[in-house]
Amino acid sequence: MTSRPVAITGMGCICAAGNNLDDSMASMFRGTRDPAPPLNFFSNHPIRYPVFEARDFVEPPDLLRTSALGLHAAKEALADAGLDQDFLNTLRVGVCVGTTVGCAISNETFCREYRSLSAPGMAPLERILRSNPAAVIAREFGFSGPCQTIVNACSSGTDAVGLAASWIRTGACDIALAGGADELGRITYIGFIALLIADESHCKPFDANRKGLNLGEAGAMLVLESEQVRKLRKKKARSFVLGYGSACDAYHLTAPRPDGAGLKSAIAEALACNNTDPASIAFVNAHGTGTPENDRVETRVLAEVLPGVPFLSTKGYTGHTLGAAGAIEAVFTVACLERGAIPANIGFATPDPELGGTPVTENTSFRGTVALSESLAFGGNNSVLIFGTAGGE
Amino acid sequence: MNTKEKLKKILITDLNLEELAPEDIDDSAPLFGEGLGLDSLDAVELVVIIQKHFGIEIKDMEEGRSAFQSIEALAAYIDRRLAAA
Amino acid sequence: MKIAIQGIGVVGGFGTGVADMRQALLSGVSNRSSVHLSNCGEPLDLSALRAETSRLNDFVPIKAQRRIDNFSKLGLLGAYLALEDAGVLAEGPQERLGVVIASGYGATGITYAFLDSFINDGDICASPTYFANSVHNSAAAYISIMLGATGPSSTVSQFHLSVPSALQTAWLWLAEGRVDRVLFGAVDELSELIGYAWYRQRGRADHSDMIPLVTGRESAIPGEGAAFLLLSRQEEVQGGYCLIDHVTTGRFLKPGFLRTPDELLILGADGRRDMGANYAALTEKSNIACFTPLYGSMPAGPAFDLAVASLMLKEGKTFASPGGSECDFPAQVVPGGSSLEGSRVSSLTLSDDDGYGLVNLTQL
Repeated sequence: MTSRPVAITGMGCICAAGNNLDDSMASMFRGTRDPAPPLNFFSNHPIRYPVFEARDFVEPPDLLRTSALGLHAAKEALADAGLDQDFLNTLRVGVCVGTTVGCAISNETFCREYRSLSAPGMAPLERILRSNPAAVIAREFGFSGPCQTIVNACSSGTDAVGLAASWIRTGACDIALAGGADELGRITYIGFIALLIADESHCKPFDANRKGLNLGEAGAMLVLESEQVRKLRKKKARSFVLGYGSACDAYHLTAPRPDGAGLKSAIAEALACNNTDPASIAFVNAHGTGTPENDRVETRVLAEVLPGVPFLSTKGYTGHTLGAAGAIEAVFTVACLERGAIPANIGFATPDPELGGTPVTENTSFRGTVALSESLAFGGNNSVLIFGTAGGE
Repeated sequence: MNTKEKLKKILITDLNLEELAPEDIDDSAPLFGEGLGLDSLDAVELVVIIQKHFGIEIKDMEEGRSAFQSIEALAAYIDRRLAAA
Repeated sequence: MKIAIQGIGVVGGFGTGVADMRQALLSGVSNRSSVHLSNCGEPLDLSALRAETSRLNDFVPIKAQRRIDNFSKLGLLGAYLALEDAGVLAEGPQERLGVVIASGYGATGITYAFLDSFINDGDICASPTYFANSVHNSAAAYISIMLGATGPSSTVSQFHLSVPSALQTAWLWLAEGRVDRVLFGAVDELSELIGYAWYRQRGRADHSDMIPLVTGRESAIPGEGAAFLLLSRQEEVQGGYCLIDHVTTGRFLKPGFLRTPDELLILGADGRRDMGANYAALTEKSNIACFTPLYGSMPAGPAFDLAVASLMLKEGKTFASPGGSECDFPAQVVPGGSSLEGSRVSSLTLSDDDGYGLVNLTQL
C-alpha cells in the first residue's frame, strides 16, 4: 500500500550546534564542535565526560527544560512556515513529540529528601506533571487536534514525525507539529556512564577507536501540512515525508540485534511507502552514536541494503540527544537536501575493518533529491524516515 | 570466606540469580553465554558490583572481558588488584 | 474500518484475568490493599487497589524474569493474558503484531531504585540494569522480546489521556495495513514515591469507598495494574468481544457530543474532587455507568473501562456501577442486567487541562 507524501513547510531546532536551524547548519559546515563536561549539573564520578549542552538556553522556572526546548523549536518552525496564531486558530492542529526525560516522573532532589525522611514538597513533581512536552505546545498555542508524547527511547523523535505524517494523510488534523525534545540532566548522564557506552573524549562515530557516545540536549520540530491548507495559502513545501518504517528487534533491552533484521525491515517499510528506489537515495543520516555495537550493526546493514550510498552521523556535532535525536536529524536531513551537501562526519579518522563502510570525511556535495534518516533505540526499536524535496510537487 | 565464595554470594543477590545456591556455581564455568547465562547488560552491572563491594574500578569492557571469564578468573583478578592497592 | 477486540488481559485490584474482573463486576467489590509510605512525617499505609503478578510464572520462566521490574511484569502479564484469552498464545513468533503501550507514570519503582543506587553509593555505583529498565518503553520491549513480536512498537505517555491517544495509534497501524494485529495495553504502577505524591496532592479520601458520581467529594483511591486488548481489523477475524467504531481525542468537549442519545456512557470519573464536576457537566440526560471503584484511580484506567465495555457488549447486558447508588450527576445511572442489544457503549476520559478522549464501541 503506497502512501501520499506529506509536505514539510517549516522547521526549527535548538542544540549545542546552534540556537536555530541556520546557525546549527552553519556550525556543522564549518566543522566546529565544543563538547565539555556538564555546566548545568555536577557529578561526583571521578571521570568528567564531555557533553553537548545548549549552553545559552535558559528555561522558565515553571517548565521542564525538555518541554521548553521543544517549545522553542516549535516557535521557530511555525514562524518558518509563516503560520500566525490567527490563522492557526481556524485549523485543527496536532502535536506529536518524542522524548525520554519529558515524561519521567523522577526528580533527584525529591527522591533524596524523601529518603532522608524530610517529607519533600511537591514543586519538582508538579513541574513535571504540567510539562508533558506535547501538551505544553498544544496549550501554548491553543491547539485542539491530536496530542501525543511518544516515549520510545532514542527512536522517539523519528517515530513522532512518522506518526504525525499519518495524521495528516488520514485527515486527523490539518497541520501537525512533530519532533522531539530532551534535556540533559544528571540522571541520564549517570545512567549512560553506568552502561559503559559514554566516551571520555569527543565521540568518534564509525571510527576504529570509537569508545561510545557523548550525550547532548536538543529540541527540534517540523511543521507538516495538509495539501488543502497548503493550496489555500499557496505555500511551497520545503520537502516531503516520503516514507516511514519501524520494526522491533525483539532481541535485547539494550543491545541491537547483531544481524540488523529489525533495521532492515524498517528501511524496507519506509522505501515501500512511496516505492522509493534505493538507488535514488542521495545520502543517509545515520544513527551513528559512536558506540562499538551500534556503529557495527548499522554500517553492515547499510552496506547490504544501500551499498555505496554516502552516510554520516551528525551526533559528532550535537551529541546523542536521545528522544530529540530523530527529530533533529530529520531537520538536518531536509536542510542538507535543500543545500545539496552534507557536512563531514566529525570525529572520524581511522577506518574500522569490522564495519561495513566509512562515512563522509569532508563536506560533500551530491545530486539527488531523496535522503534517509534512521534511529535505533533501547528496547530494540528501529525507525526510518525518507525525505524528498521533489516528492509531491 | 575467600574471594570466590564471597563473589558467588554477591552475584546471586545482585544479579537476582535466586534459583541458584553458591555451590551450584562451577568455579571454572564461563559466566557469559553457556554456563551462568549472563549477557552484556550483566557485564556492565558486574563492573558496578566489583566497584561497590571491592572498591575496584574497572575502566572499560576491554579490561573487564579477561577478568569476567569465570568465578575463578574474576576472584584472581580481584585478589591481584587488592594486593596491588 | 472497524476494529475487533479479540482478547482481553487484565490485572488489577479486582484480581487477575477476565473471570476475576467479571466476578468483581457482579459483586461490586474489589480487594482493597495499601501502599506503605515510610516518610510522610510518620509512616503511613495509604489505601490502594494493588495488582499482583504471580500468574506471570505460568507464562515466563522465573529465571527469565530475574531482572524484569514490577512495571514490566504488569505489562507482560496483561499481554500474555490477552493472548491467552484470544486463544492465540500457542501461535509462536508474531511478525505482523504491533505493540502499543500507554502509561501515565511509567516505571517509577525501578526509576527511583536507580536513583537510590547512586544516591546511596555514589555516581560511580549507579546500576546500569536499573537504568535500562527505567526507560518508559521497557514494558513494550520485554513484551516484544518474549513474544518475538518484530512489528512496530510504540509507547505513549499523555497522563490521563494516554489510553485514547495510544489507541489512535493502534487504529492507524491497522488502518494503514502496517500490522495484522495490535497488542494494545495500558500499564501503571503504584510505587512508593507515586503513592507519596498522591498523598501530598490529594490527602486522605473523605469517604471510605470511591463514590465517583458524587461531585465535590474527594473519594479517589489510587490504583495500579494493566489492561490489554488484542485488536484486529474486523473483516479479518471472527468472534471476539465487540467492535471499536471510533476513537476521538481533542479539547473543549461540549454537551450533546454522543452520536446517539440513548448510548451508554462509561465515565472515567475516579473520585478526584477537581474532576467530578467536569464529568457531571457533560452527562446531562445521558445513560451513564462508572467502574473506577473496581480498579482505582490511575492514568491507565480508561483501558479497564474498554475491557468492561467489551464484556458488557459481548454478554449483551450491563453491569451495575459500584458506588452508583450515590449519584448527583444530572444523568441516569444504568442498573445492572439491562439489555444492550443494538446499543452503543462509549468510554469518556477527561484530562485536567480540558482534554478529552472518547471511544465508541458496538456489538459484533
